[in-house]
Amino acid sequence: MKKTPHRIKTTLLNTFKSLQAIAPMLLAVIGMVGLFETFITPQMIHSLFDGNIIHDMFLGTTAGAVSVGQPFLSYIIGGELLKEGISLYAVTAFILSFVTLGVIQLPLEFSIFGTRFTIMRNLLSLIFAFIISWASIYTLTLIKGYIS
Amino acid sequence: MSQKKQVKNKSGYIMLGMVGLLYIIFYFFNVQKTEAALLASLDVLKMIAPILIVVFFLIALLNTFIDEKSIAKHLGEESGFKGWLIVLLGGILSHGPGYIWYPMLQQLRKKGALDGLVIAFIYARAIKLPWLPLMINYFGVNFTIVLSFYIILGAFVQGVITNKLK
Repeated sequence: MKKTPHRIKTTLLNTFKSLQAIAPMLLAVIGMVGLFETFITPQMIHSLFDGNIIHDMFLGTTAGAVSVGQPFLSYIIGGELLKEGISLYAVTAFILSFVTLGVIQLPLEFSIFGTRFTIMRNLLSLIFAFIISWASIYTLTLIKGYIS
Repeated sequence: MSQKKQVKNKSGYIMLGMVGLLYIIFYFFNVQKTEAALLASLDVLKMIAPILIVVFFLIALLNTFIDEKSIAKHLGEESGFKGWLIVLLGGILSHGPGYIWYPMLQQLRKKGALDGLVIAFIYARAIKLPWLPLMINYFGVNFTIVLSFYIILGAFVQGVITNKLK
């Protein structure tokens, strides 16, 4: 068995190499995040909704999946959408997919995890954005008539 | 280096080149916004740099001191309830954007962690502890509790489905 200092040195070297390997993809994703944060405004997202719950849930999920930024942005945008009459189903789907799906980071995910795992994870997150949004609002309605 | 790994490395450079090209194109249409986008990217880089260092330090520790046997015991086939507890709590407590955790999670998979547990970890990250007060402020306590409960349940169910499908 190799001695611990030697093992640490080898591992640090390998870790540095793996950091170096993912650096270009990571920088590309970060570059895309900047572009999206600047060019896609909350007003653009709002203009997509039309009042139909199924349509708006689908749009909420899609908008959340292509949006990027700090999680609190999804709460702020979601809160504003709710104030303007967009259904809580759609807003919940938007918040969920904002933090669980990421179209921008897909190439990075594919390159690290491989095709099968990445497709599986994203497909499950997509389906569960609908299921959890519906289940949450249904539960809240049962608890205290949260939405009229 | 294997051919597959070389292709993966190349895809990173191709993607970076494409993003660079997008910046150049956008620069011609709107100088101010493109500069703002670049600054926003730098802010993201500054924000994730410390977390990235911590993550890679964790990977180094993982590779040095934790072997396949103990990963199999805690996160593998025989992990049981403890495995679920580790990944769900770990997901809720982990910070920063999800993609910076991917290399470490891939290392765990290579060492024998179940795919279902890794997927549950990633999904549990949807609960953002530091931002919960803001969520309560916008949507109320009931909404926050119910949504958080379903996220944890959803993470667990997705993990179970993944493990069954393997």
